Amino acid sequence: MLDKVKRFSRLLSGIVLCAIIANCSSEPVIDESIRNYEGDLPANLDGSWERDYLRGDNINQALNRAFRQLNQSRSRRNYDRYEEWRNPRALSSTKDGASLIALARLTEIITRLDVFKISQTEHEIIVERKDDFAILCEFYDGIAQGAVTEYGAEVCGWEGEQFVTHLVLPDGLLISHRYKISPDGESLRVVTTAASSASRVPFTLNRYYRKYEPFVGKFNCIETLSMKRVCSTGEL
Amino acid sequence: MAALLTGLMVIPSFQQAIAQLVSAENTAADGLSRNATELNVSIAVFDPGIPADASTHRRLQVFPRIRKIEALYLPFVLHEVLVDSSQWGAVRVVPAADIAAELLVSGTIIKSNGEILELQIRAADASGREWFTRNYTGATTVIAAQGEAEPAAIGYQEIYAEIGADLEAARALLDEQALAEIVDVSFLRYAIQLVPTAFDEYLSANPDGTFTIDRLPAQNDPMLERLGRIRGVEYLITDAVDTKFQELHAEIASIYELWRSYRRKFTQYQLDETRRLENVKTDAPKGSFEAIRSAYDNYKWSRIAEQEQESWADGFNNEVGPTIEKMEIRVAELEGWVDQQYAEWSALLAELFALETGRTE
Repeated sequence: MLDKVKRFSRLLSGIVLCAIIANCSSEPVIDESIRNYEGDLPANLDGSWERDYLRGDNINQALNRAFRQLNQSRSRRNYDRYEEWRNPRALSSTKDGASLIALARLTEIITRLDVFKISQTEHEIIVERKDDFAILCEFYDGIAQGAVTEYGAEVCGWEGEQFVTHLVLPDGLLISHRYKISPDGESLRVVTTAASSASRVPFTLNRYYRKYEPFVGKFNCIETLSMKRVCSTGEL
Repeated sequence: MAALLTGLMVIPSFQQAIAQLVSAENTAADGLSRNATELNVSIAVFDPGIPADASTHRRLQVFPRIRKIEALYLPFVLHEVLVDSSQWGAVRVVPAADIAAELLVSGTIIKSNGEILELQIRAADASGREWFTRNYTGATTVIAAQGEAEPAAIGYQEIYAEIGADLEAARALLDEQALAEIVDVSFLRYAIQLVPTAFDEYLSANPDGTFTIDRLPAQNDPMLERLGRIRGVEYLITDAVDTKFQELHAEIASIYELWRSYRRKFTQYQLDETRRLENVKTDAPKGSFEAIRSAYDNYKWSRIAEQEQESWADGFNNEVGPTIEKMEIRVAELEGWVDQQYAEWSALLAELFALETGRTE
């Protein structure tokens, strides 16, 4: 287990180094400087958020956009602009296309949630998601710290007023979320990017969420160890 | 209160006086007289051993609220072992270290994760002599070379028996005179706390932290009896506090065992996952949906399992929290009463001493 953690640490360091070395530009890169912060946290994302279906990306549009980007990244002798606009996916190789579609499928699954909750304190931000792990970022002594397991590592922090988390997984797979709150604090934009070393371009999906007040039922419930959930109409 | 402080009694000798007072107090406490080797033991609430750097808690799997509960709960487990051994006088769990205790046992929780319990235990007597400071580790299971879980050579409960055995072994190195002297020093240190002007000339503090009896009080010193009675009252309060710890132990024992059971299962799950990871082989091409989905899900489920522990910790706190709170309030009330009385007793005794001897601070 320790070896795997060490490998991920080395992978993390390698990724950062590759950001500097130009010929590693195909590897997903993250900027570890996001982990440093000073003073209070730049934005308050605390609250319950529900999906705003009127805004945000349509998955197919996002996929087409990514294919165009893929095509443009390759030099072609007979570049057919019309064909590229009409059917962007047709011009990409089977392998490139398959990798990109894989990233799109995974991103769609990850961003499927209708609601989620963000709990923010002076020392941590927790993004609780149904049927998925909670994204956790801790802030102590000017350094933001994410979780590390033998299967991957999270790097988190701030880019200006954007809360950013990167999930570094094996084989160059990188899942990033960027959370930016609107000035009035009622709307949240989440940009999710999936990248891998097998795909020339990443896949990015924008989602929007509105703040809402969760329904408060008549029962007060707490979790216990021996009796699981215990509810009462009175105070517990 | 006046009757308590001014009653006179003819005392044949200091040692006999202390023995009588202590015997009377012990008879009230446990119904039987004790012999010279049966020192009274005070077990202080443990230091929870929570790392000061809060950013390390999740990585080290330290749950601070549960550690604080364990610091209240675990001393009573040792209390039961010492009482059952019938080798000691009165055994009490006390909220804070008592410097005048005949034998003070204090501890720090180094590690406690349901699977492994590691304690650092220090034992020192009233004369300042340190009996030992040692680390004890008990495990429910050990992980053998083959990666299979087996019953541990020294189990979770057995470490308390080992602590008890070490205390008896350390005591065996002292002769009866030394043990009697511990009882005397304990009383004198208590007396000095209450009436420094009357008793500080009887005891010397040595550079190494130990204490030496310089001389003994007069045979018919009325202060001895007063102090003995006051100490008896204080022991009654201490016994009441000890009862609170006993009640706490009884109320949360089953829930604490459930918590440990969940932690052990998580440890076993982690072990199984490590083995699965070593043995899993996948033919999914790099970059394919199967490969990246598998990578994501492995991480996702490992994190969900870790986060499940935190929900167990919350459940544990929710369930035992009210019990702990009630106990702490009651103990604080009792301690507060003693502190208040202490100040009054101290002032009254100092006044009496000045009146009787003409000496003041």
